Amino acid sequence: MFTNYFKLAIKVLGRHKFFTFISLFGISFTLMILMLVTAFLDTELGSHEPMSKRDRMVFLSQVTLKNIETDTIMTIDTTIKNEVAVYDTTYDFSPNNTSTSNSDAGFAFLNEYCRNIEGSEKETFYSPGSSFDIFINNNKLTFNGIYADADFWKIFDFTFLEGKAFGETEVKNQALGLVISKKAAVKYFGENQSYVGKTITLEGKNFKVLGVVRTMQGPQGFNADVIMPYTNMTANQLENHEGFQGRFQGLFLAKTKKDRRIIQAEIKKKATQMVMPNPDDYNVLELNAWTFPETYAKRLWYDEDATKSLKKLFLILTSLLLLFVLLPTLNLINLNISRIMERSSEIGVRKAFGASSGNILVQFVFENVILTIIGGVIGFVLASFLIYTINNSQALGNVVLQFNGSIFIYSFLICLIFGVLSGIIPAYRMSKMQIAAALKQ
Amino acid sequence: MIQLKNINKVYRTKTIETVALNEINLDVKEGEFLSIMGPSGCGKSTLLNIIGLIDEPSSGAISIANQQISDYSGKATARFRNERLGFIFQSFHLINDLSVIDNVELPLLYRKVSAKKRRFLAEEALTKVGLKNRMKHFPSQLSGGQKQRVAIARAIVGNPDIILADEPTGNLDSVMGNEIMDILLDLNQNNKTTIVMVTHDETMAQRTNRLIRLFDGSQVL
Repeated sequence: MFTNYFKLAIKVLGRHKFFTFISLFGISFTLMILMLVTAFLDTELGSHEPMSKRDRMVFLSQVTLKNIETDTIMTIDTTIKNEVAVYDTTYDFSPNNTSTSNSDAGFAFLNEYCRNIEGSEKETFYSPGSSFDIFINNNKLTFNGIYADADFWKIFDFTFLEGKAFGETEVKNQALGLVISKKAAVKYFGENQSYVGKTITLEGKNFKVLGVVRTMQGPQGFNADVIMPYTNMTANQLENHEGFQGRFQGLFLAKTKKDRRIIQAEIKKKATQMVMPNPDDYNVLELNAWTFPETYAKRLWYDEDATKSLKKLFLILTSLLLLFVLLPTLNLINLNISRIMERSSEIGVRKAFGASSGNILVQFVFENVILTIIGGVIGFVLASFLIYTINNSQALGNVVLQFNGSIFIYSFLICLIFGVLSGIIPAYRMSKMQIAAALKQ
Repeated sequence: MIQLKNINKVYRTKTIETVALNEINLDVKEGEFLSIMGPSGCGKSTLLNIIGLIDEPSSGAISIANQQISDYSGKATARFRNERLGFIFQSFHLINDLSVIDNVELPLLYRKVSAKKRRFLAEEALTKVGLKNRMKHFPSQLSGGQKQRVAIARAIVGNPDIILADEPTGNLDSVMGNEIMDILLDLNQNNKTTIVMVTHDETMAQRTNRLIRLFDGSQVL
């Protein structure tokens, strides 16, 4: 039966070339955009090197210090009682936030208070965001650097092309060694067989290359060229403001996905138990530990609560996705109604010879799915070409769009939903048509 | 084989009521070849559609092969049409995008029949109507007579008890019309298929077992 439907679907597509072109254009263009969006989301939020364990990660990336003072508001009510003025005074005490300071955490603070957190299997403290200007062969290179501890390499997963990461000993001994990305190594040294053992000068210090990794770009804008032991930071860089704040981020690897909530609660609890070093300046401490998607949402809506931000992000993405699928679907429904109307005599014949309404429904939905799959394949080819072009031209800066199997599966599912949705309404209408009326048309 | 009792068909709009069939009582015996005649608009095709279960009467009862069809659900009616009835239309109603053999296979698509058996039965039906050599052709490549023969092959491929033909020779010249009529008579006499045929052609009607006439929706003697 489906062979017959397939043959007919292909014939009908060939017969109405203009309609087919319009439909395929609509489907392939919409799917191309959808595939690009999913590729972008997968790149930003997916489980990729170096954050393959992102589902178990909790980031402590914001330490908030507040000064809360109690305001006293005195209200005097005057009433006349027995022709004498009576005064009624009320006092209202309400907390008032007079000053707030948001920053990354200080290393000493993390080191002292944030080890052995319940639910955490391992933790790393690292400082991203250092930038090094390098002048080489009359060219200026800017390298982004991360200062990290030895456990950094146990939580993040990089593909080493050669050499290895630094360990506890190197960190302890302030070893002048670093790990470099392949791209940065080529920029600095030129194309070479091996880079390990070579020296790279950053801010007057000669660092030895210990290892070369495939890439240091990852989800959530994770981007670096070199990573070195945090003990190489200057005292000034390591110094903490108000004892708690600094340039470090804490990253906790939960034992299980569920344990992330335990870590978050534990860190929040710690904040309430700590004695503030300078209570005259700041008397309240807030520690905000977020999961991977919450961190992403917080980057978009900094001032809002992480859970609210995540809900907002989810709502916006879902609405956009619905809009992208709904508009062309509605258009296709219209096109399909006029296309199927032309075939009312065929529907009449099929029903006269025993096709049930269900058979007719399945046939037209099947035909539409075939059309959508063809459109999907075209959209897939277009999207692959566009992603390749975008990555090659670096149109999105450091973001390298990923295109993998899961994206293909998502896109294929979107294709199917698209095909079924745009086919089912016209097919249902036609399947209910009276046979005698259908044969007359 | 077919029993119609007090069949009425009325088309209603907001302003007008048109009586298409008025108190039709009809009994068609098994193996009979009945023709229905009457002027245009007298309700012949409506009556044939009601017998073929592709239109519903406004009132009255239909019984085919001792089964009360009015009790059937949509799906059961579809199955009944598929297994017991075959249709031949004046304008052939072949699917132009399908080859001759695919058109003939159509009723078998809605039965549990393997693709191989479908092809075998369709070839057999086409052989009966003398069109085996045109299997791979498309309807647009055939003459009117050939198209009607394909339509007959499609009607008989499922081996139905009853064939309902709505002016099967109406769009054909007399030679082709006679050829089609010969095939129908052969099916009636040799296969014992019950046939109900609507026609305008007195000569064709005279070749059948019985003739009934309609006028303004009523049966006349």
